[in-house]
Amino acid sequence: MPENKFYKYSLKLRWPSVCRNRSVEILKERPDLVEQMNRFREKVSNVLKIVCRKSSYVDNTHSMTGTRLWFESGQDVYDFIIRQPEFDWEVVPTLDVLNIVTSQLQTFNIVYTPTGVVVD
Amino acid sequence: MKNAYITIVGNLSIRFDLHESMHIGPVIASANSNKSINFAYATCNSEIILQDMLNSTNFRGTNILVPEELFKRYVFFNETTCLPDFPGLKTLEIDPNNCTPQCLSLMLAVYFKPKIIFLLGYDLDNPIEFTRLKSIIISNPDIRFAYISNPLIKKLDDLDNCFSDTYIKYQEVIDARK
Repeated sequence: MPENKFYKYSLKLRWPSVCRNRSVEILKERPDLVEQMNRFREKVSNVLKIVCRKSSYVDNTHSMTGTRLWFESGQDVYDFIIRQPEFDWEVVPTLDVLNIVTSQLQTFNIVYTPTGVVVD
Repeated sequence: MKNAYITIVGNLSIRFDLHESMHIGPVIASANSNKSINFAYATCNSEIILQDMLNSTNFRGTNILVPEELFKRYVFFNETTCLPDFPGLKTLEIDPNNCTPQCLSLMLAVYFKPKIIFLLGYDLDNPIEFTRLKSIIISNPDIRFAYISNPLIKKLDDLDNCFSDTYIKYQEVIDARK
């Protein structure tokens, strides 16, 4: 995580379908899946560097559903969500926003509409 | 955020160099009634005013706190932040969506639990606002409230000496912190 930046927004991007919901035991037995997940994270990280105007990063913490992404800019998050079909990715339809006053993470549902994306 | 002093700029326009206020701690603006400095925080519960604030250079970098309903519509704007659940909102019968921005600023300042809250340009003419202010002061005995006014208005006598500082003392605090 780069220092001196406030990463306000967070999304979770689902793993490729074969890697989802795999336990640690299974992953120990299947290095091919681990390699695929690492490649996926690397690819996402490279894409973020290209498409984001402000800072963003891929979280190292492991999750069974997907990899967590952090964004400094709300505009970058919006662009990332609506450009999913372009990259053939699947975002978990919840947006986490870090509240600077309470330091708590607030979760909102992402709703897709014909004109764009809103949260509920 | 932990600060000993917080200054609130209410709904009224004031003649005071707010740059000086920034020396003692964060200054909270109430909507867009004052645009003289880049505020640390601002509160707003009107969509039209929020749009104006988002397009104003004075609020660039300001954390604009808005009620949840409004926040959801402007979640992708970096400046907006969702107002916390202030304790005592129901007891005081305050609806964050319909109350005045200065009331939200006051609730926000109380949430930070400073030693002293300075009220600048705070409108006391509205009896509902006045009663709310009084209730908030009574329910937060650990915080001192200082109404900055020159000259002191008569209505302050009704507050049974809840306010203890004067304009001069406020200036002394600022000068001491410089």
